[in-house]
This record gives sequence, C-alpha cells and structure tokens, in this order.
Amino acid sequence: MTDAHRTIDAVWKLESARIIAGLTRMMHDVGLAEELAQDALVSALEQWPESGVPDNPGAWLMAIAKRRAIDHIRRSQRLERKHEQLAHELEHQQDPEQDDVLRLMFISCHPVLATEARVALTLRLLGGLTAEEIARTFLVNEPRIAQRIAGAKRTLAEEQVPFELPDGSELAERLSSVLEVIYLIFNEGYSATSGDDLMRPGLCLEALRLGRLLAELVPHEPEVHGLVALMEIQASRSAARTGPSGEPVQLHEQNRGRWDQLLIRRGFTAMLRAREVGGTPGRYVLQAAIAVCHAQARTSEDTDWAQIAALYEALARLLPTPIVQLNQAVALGMARGPQAGLALVDSLIGDPTLQDYHLLPAVRGDLLVRLERYEEARLEFERAASLTRNVAERAFLRRRADEIAVTGASGVTLAQAAQDFLRRDDLNAETIRSYGQTLRRMCLTLGDQMPLASLTADQVTRMFATAWGEAAAKTWNRHRSAVRSFGAWASLEHLAAGLNRRAETRPRTATIGSPQLEALWSRPDLPLRERTLWRLLHESAAGVMAVLSLNVENLDLDDRRARAGDTWVSWRSETAQLLPHLVAGRTRGPLFLADRRPGPSRMPTQADLCPETGRRRLSYERAEYLFKQATKPLDPASNGYTLRQLKPRA
Amino acid sequence: MRYLMMSKASDTAPDENLYVEMGKFVEEMTAAGVLLATGGLESGGVHVTSSGDEITVTDGPFSEAKEVVVGFALVEVRSREEAIELTRRFRKIVGDGDSVIQQVFGP
Repeated sequence: MTDAHRTIDAVWKLESARIIAGLTRMMHDVGLAEELAQDALVSALEQWPESGVPDNPGAWLMAIAKRRAIDHIRRSQRLERKHEQLAHELEHQQDPEQDDVLRLMFISCHPVLATEARVALTLRLLGGLTAEEIARTFLVNEPRIAQRIAGAKRTLAEEQVPFELPDGSELAERLSSVLEVIYLIFNEGYSATSGDDLMRPGLCLEALRLGRLLAELVPHEPEVHGLVALMEIQASRSAARTGPSGEPVQLHEQNRGRWDQLLIRRGFTAMLRAREVGGTPGRYVLQAAIAVCHAQARTSEDTDWAQIAALYEALARLLPTPIVQLNQAVALGMARGPQAGLALVDSLIGDPTLQDYHLLPAVRGDLLVRLERYEEARLEFERAASLTRNVAERAFLRRRADEIAVTGASGVTLAQAAQDFLRRDDLNAETIRSYGQTLRRMCLTLGDQMPLASLTADQVTRMFATAWGEAAAKTWNRHRSAVRSFGAWASLEHLAAGLNRRAETRPRTATIGSPQLEALWSRPDLPLRERTLWRLLHESAAGVMAVLSLNVENLDLDDRRARAGDTWVSWRSETAQLLPHLVAGRTRGPLFLADRRPGPSRMPTQADLCPETGRRRLSYERAEYLFKQATKPLDPASNGYTLRQLKPRA
Repeated sequence: MRYLMMSKASDTAPDENLYVEMGKFVEEMTAAGVLLATGGLESGGVHVTSSGDEITVTDGPFSEAKEVVVGFALVEVRSREEAIELTRRFRKIVGDGDSVIQQVFGP
C-alpha cells in the first residue's frame, strides 16, 4: 500500500459505518448500501492520490455514494415516475441521522444470522475491516469470511429485516444480541482460543470502540455501560497478563504497576454510569463489578474475595453455566479456603460441557496444590496442558506440572500403557481404531500421566458417565468392551467393574409432536440447507442415509421425487418450494453439502465431492448434531431430537 | 495503538466559533471511542533540570513561546494514518500552527 492508500484506508475505517448506515436508510438494503459505499471508496482511491484528501472526506464519500444510489434507482426503475420522485427526494435528503449507526448495529447483530455471521458482519460494516483483515484475525481463510458476509447479507435481504430501532421488550433482547457480539469479539482478542499468541490486541480495540460507541448511542441501558466497564478493566491488564516469552501470568501474580490506570479509571467511570442508570444488575454489570473488585485491590492479598464470591453467586443465579460456576469455585477457594472451592469444582466434573475444558483441571490443580495433594495436582496440570489449544498456555501448564516433583515410583503411565496396548499385532485395524477412541478419551479425561497402578474402577465409571452417559447403548457397550479388553491385557480386570452392559434393543423411536414441529418450521433463523433436509425427511418419511445420499442429478423436481439406490424418495409442496433454492444452479454432485471444503488429508471419494463447489457431502454425524442442537429448545426434556424422529407416525 | 498529539502555541486568538467546533469534535471523537484523554496546558510551567547531584527548579514563562505545548490529546487508533487523519481534522479547526504526534508505548 502506498501512503495515499493507507490514508484512504484510515479515513474509510473512521467513516464507513456512518456512510453505510445512511445509505441503508435510503435504500432499505444493507448489502446494496455497502456496495454503493464501496463504489465511493473506489472513486476515492482513483482521485485522492492525485487531488489530495478533501477537507471533509466523510461528506465527500457520502456525496459520491448518494449519487451512485440515485443512479442505481434511476437505472433499475427508469419507467416509473414514482421512483423518479424517490430519487429526487433522495437528492434533497438530510444528512445521516445519529441513530442510523445504531440501527446498523442492530441489523448486523440480528438474530436471524448465525453468531459467526453476526461477528463478521459487525466487523465489516461497523469496524470497516476488509474480509482479509477479518480472516487474518480469526485465522481462517479469506474466501470463507467473504462467503460468511455475503451469506449474512443475503439472509438479511431474504428475511426483509427492517432498518429500524426495536422497541419495548424486543429492544432488550436485540440489545443483548449486540452486546454478546461485541463481547465475543473482545474475548476472541483477549483470550485467543487458538494459535500462538495469547492476545490479538486489534480485536480488543475494535470491541472497545464498538462498546464505547454503543454506550453513547444508548446511554440509558445499564448493561451497555457494564459491558464497557468490563472490557476497559480487562483490557487494562493486557500488558501484565503475559510474561516476557508470551506465557500467561495469572491475575494474582501480575505486576499491578503495569495495569493501565487510564483504562481502569475509564472502567470505573463506565461502572458509575451503569449504577446511575440503576435497575437490577445484569450479567455484564455483575462481571464488571467483579473486575472492579480486582482493580481496586492494590496487591493480590488485598483482594476482597468474600465480595467477589458473593458477586459470582449472584452471577451464577442469573447465568448458571458451568464456566461461571468454575469461576465461583475459584473465588470460594480464596474466600473460604481450598476445600470449599474443591467441593464446588468436583460437583462440576460430571458436566459434559466441561469435559474438554482445560481450565477445569487447571483450577482443580491449583486447589489441590493448596491442599498439599501434590501428586493429584501434577496429573491435573498435565491433563490441562493436553487439553488447551493455545501454545503459550500449554507450555505454562506443562511447567506448572513439572514444578511438582514426582514422588515415589509411579511406574507405567496410562498413556504409555494405552500406547503399548494398541501396538499389539493381534488386533485388526478396525479394532485398533475403535479401542483407540476409547483410550484417547480415557487419557484426556484422566490424564496421560496418571499412573496405571492407581487407576480405579470408580474413576473409569465416572468418566464413562460423563463422556457416554447419554450415548446410545451400542456406543456405550463398544467403549465398555474396549476397557474390558484393556483391563484384561493390563491385568487390571476390575477396571470395568462399575460398567454394566446396556440393553441394545432400541425402543420404538418416538416422533416429534406437532406443536414442536410447528415451532421448528416457523423459526426464521433456519439455514436453507437444514430447512430443506428436515422438510424432506418429514415429507418423504425416507431413511436419513437415503436422503443424505441424494445427488442433484437424480432429482426430478417436476415429479417431486428422486432415485436413491433402489428406492424412490418423494416429497410434497414444502420441500418442493425449497429445493430449487438449495440446488441454486448446480447440475450434479451431492444435494446436501458440508459447510466447508475438506482438508487435503480428509479428501472423500469423488462421489461425495461436489464438482462445482469442492465441498463434500454433508455427513450423517454433522446433520444429526445440527438437528439435535437446533431442537434442544423445543424438546421438553432439553435433549434435542434425532433426525429419525422427523418421520411421521405410520 | 496510542498516540499523543501535542499542539503548540499559535498567534491566532481563539474565537467563539472555534470553541463550538472544538467541542463538537471532542464529543464526536469521545463517542467514537477514539479519544481517551485531552486537556489544555498552562503556558508557563516549571522547568526542573538535573545535572549531577544538583536539581534546579525554574519558574516559567520561557522565551521560546512558540515551542511550548499548550494542549494534548491521547487517542487510541488502529494505525499511524488514523492518528494523522484525526490531527488533520483538528488542525482544520484550530487554524495555522503546529502539532506533533508521537506513538505512546507502555504502560
């Protein structure tokens, strides 16, 4: 980039949100508005290097974009006088309104969009970031982000999402979606979930700016100020939370002199504004209050843990997620001693959502060290290290494990034994693969370094309940026989003692009730692929495998049927309406496609690959997972349904 | 990244209009989450010089009035170019004179 281009880029990032917002109000189409704004940007790139940056670059860009908008209307609707009049009005319209940017925020965080799409669109439309910049910060490739943004704009157009401010009860809901997106962006920057760096400061800055902007736009919402306070104070610790070689430094070990007092004061100010507005403290105000407690403590010993534990208790009532409870356990451990903390942590061990969450064993390890149960603590740190995807964090956890001297002769570890067991040559490849799954899970949950001799049937039973308690009997039994075989080989026959074989005769699959089905069909946020697949399964009553195996070239859209192997799958009107959109010009290849292209090492056979998009056929597992997730809120038991249950009662 | 923008004294006397324009600009930049802190500085100030063990304190004003910083703004931006762009807009409002922008490291 030349200097002029860099200047234009800077101007663009400062102005684009307002320009796009103003254009969206005129054109009622955010996708079109963004294109017109981009056109204006192209003009700037052509003219400014010669003419220099104009005095009021924002107004310049807006004027050009407006002219393009008028051209666009005249071109597309040349013959209708009504539109001529509209174009005339546009020419004399006022400057963009202050609220337009707020409207734009509500649109780009609209619930009809998937969370990932909301994040990408917000960074794009409000942060002025290019698809390439967004891709780089999220470590994914550019076409995927571009696709995500294009898809989001399409969905907004299809759903005819209006450019307006929600009111009443809807406002609270929509606002919480905006706050969620901003905090997600912040967190992705603050605690990068993958990759080599612990932080991506650019994302934190974007989130902070969006938050501060939002606080000015909706000053009467305490949660907005709460979120800003939370982010300012968390950001104030950025410099202190990584060591010289990029390793994480825990809060209580941080050099508080390196906390950014300016940001802390800004956080306090935001918190005061939240208090002034009043109301029952929400999740962000509570979290900010916790952050304020930490920021007020001059040394870690001064921390008011009793207050923090009380705030976490309130937060856990509002937001009873296992992660909040885990944090509450840390606070309890500090306020009332490690035993109290450990008791709460241990109650979370059986929670399936935490089974691969590295901070659970890390916190447990901390508490165990304080209880002087060093050997157990070391295993927990080892396990935490093997679970995290972040390189710096893994090294840190390894070091914590290494700091605890190995006591006694612990002998063979679980990981070594598992490796030797799988290396035997009397097992066929399929068995090794199956046993491998079971043993990998065991190593992850119980720790690679767990001494084989200390492994108890109790631990295995608990681990099974967490990992496969909800699984089908067949799955449970497969893992059970793997443990039995492993136990016999290692002369630990008792290992599977607590695992009962489960009866595999499956009860007749219950179908989904019609109120649930109606609720499912009326949900506006269902992606086209899912909607089509589920409608088709329901209308055709065909097997899931048969439906997923359909190819575009086998469809007979006119006769509403398709050949699947030896049978026919046929459908009715609802599917018939959806199918042409899903096919969208494709002429052959799998009908239902996965979201992304397969990696080079996982290339499927030619028959399962779409020749046009390069994506693979949607797998049964993925389809089942998506359905289960989507139907959890509908199921009175909150388990979600299986695709087979879409088949209507015979 | 943060930049400190410092403005030096100028000959033009500020008028009513300038205050209004400046107020608007500061408000806008604060709302956008860009401006972290800003303020005006007294024109004299105190010089504190150390030489060896000796500390000398001298009250202003000093002769080089044009070199004296009279105002500052601490901004948080994505790039150097954004800082320059903001300074450009600031200078448009205040008229003839000098500003210096320097990146801030730390704390």
